Amino acid sequence: MNNTRKVILLIGSPRGVYSTSSVLGNYILKKLEEQNFKTEVLHIHSQLKSQSKREQLLDKIENVDLILLAFPLYVDTLPAPVIRTFELIAENISEKQQERTQKLIAIVNCGFPEASHNRYALATCEQFALETGMQWIGGLSLGMGGAISGKSLDKLGGMVTNVKKSLDLVSESIIKDEKISEKAIEYMAKPLLPSKWLYTFMGSISWRIQALKNKAYSKLNDTPFI
Amino acid sequence: MKALILNGEKDNKASLNKYSKIIIKELENRDYEVNTVILYEEKIADCIGCFGCWIKKPGICVIDDYAHKIATMFINSDLIIYLTPVVFGGYSYQLKKALDRMIPLISPFFIKVDGEIHHKPRYKEYPSILGIGVMSEFEKEQVELFNDLIKRNSINLHSPNYASEVFVKNKDIDHIQQGINNLLNRVSDKNE
Ligand SMILES: Cc1cc2nc3c(=O)[nH]c(=O)nc-3n(C[C@H](O)[C@H](O)[C@H](O)COP(=O)(O)O)c2cc1C
Repeated sequence: MNNTRKVILLIGSPRGVYSTSSVLGNYILKKLEEQNFKTEVLHIHSQLKSQSKREQLLDKIENVDLILLAFPLYVDTLPAPVIRTFELIAENISEKQQERTQKLIAIVNCGFPEASHNRYALATCEQFALETGMQWIGGLSLGMGGAISGKSLDKLGGMVTNVKKSLDLVSESIIKDEKISEKAIEYMAKPLLPSKWLYTFMGSISWRIQALKNKAYSKLNDTPFI
Repeated sequence: MKALILNGEKDNKASLNKYSKIIIKELENRDYEVNTVILYEEKIADCIGCFGCWIKKPGICVIDDYAHKIATMFINSDLIIYLTPVVFGGYSYQLKKALDRMIPLISPFFIKVDGEIHHKPRYKEYPSILGIGVMSEFEKEQVELFNDLIKRNSINLHSPNYASEVFVKNKDIDHIQQGINNLLNRVSDKNE
């Protein structure tokens, strides 16, 4: 198939390939590559480190048809480097005064069990698209994101059935050049584990084990700053 | 009482200077001891998402830079002022780089707040939050988003109280002063 559409995946997690953001974004990218889309992945954290890398990031964004932005929720909104990227893109555009043609999709995952924590972050992405003249194709929201953390979706079994359904639907929409469907949004927002209690119970055990390994168990509840 | 102003000015254009001055004056009138941090002047690295502040050095970020100083002032204040240009309904990068580094102040463990999961507090008391956004033209969605964000942050941070307002640039000093006074009344109502 002759496909000349270019897609860039921007990963807004500092955890790089070990992140949930990377797993979710790359799943879609793979589907698009099968349809001969031209794809590229950039990690925002490393891409902001120098002036030349920042310029490279802006150049690439100028020349794509679709931006897939995948990031974790930090303090109820976008991680600082993702905000910086938005600021840079907006400044770049106002300097060049160009017509936009890019489309934007955002995928946010958060640590708390409820996907709804992500709604303000998605609203900010939509505002960014609006202000910069990009076309907002939609946003996905996942809770309990810590359960994926870099692991391939193919190895996570039934837990990620809905995540995969969602990403498959999104990939299809991109291929058909359509907006993200409500169904895809619904699937992604379904909890990965059957109960919040189970997720937080497992989360708490995981913190304790990691603290034990770091010989920090007895300090877990320290209050060093008062 | 102590107040900390986190000034999220984007660069050295000093566009938030006017607001900062008024806030300091009004706080001092109310007998607050005020600290101000102009964030773009300080070296503060971006959070690397390692959770070392929970599982390696609980309560302390593993990156040793100015964010430590801010975290110390933050938790020992009664009121934090988030002063920022409104960036797509949210905070500027300068403000957010500091806020992302404040998660050592809370616990990794979980608690339900109004049926929703959040982290437990690490400390007994947390400051109230006052959000002051500045934008060049009024845009309803962004203003609402900014107010929502301050509210959400106050829940995650176990703040006893919060208030926020977005000011449109180039309003006269009296207008700003009155607005800030009203905000301080609102945020201190529950504090006292
Ligand atoms: C600085 C920081 C702030 C965070 N703030 C939130 C938050 O406000 N709400 C939430 O549900 N999770 C929060 N998290 C948890 C992350 O969203 C969660 O671990 C996510 O799964 C990480 O995704 P990633 O693997 O793509 O980086 C925060 C994590 C960090 C490091």
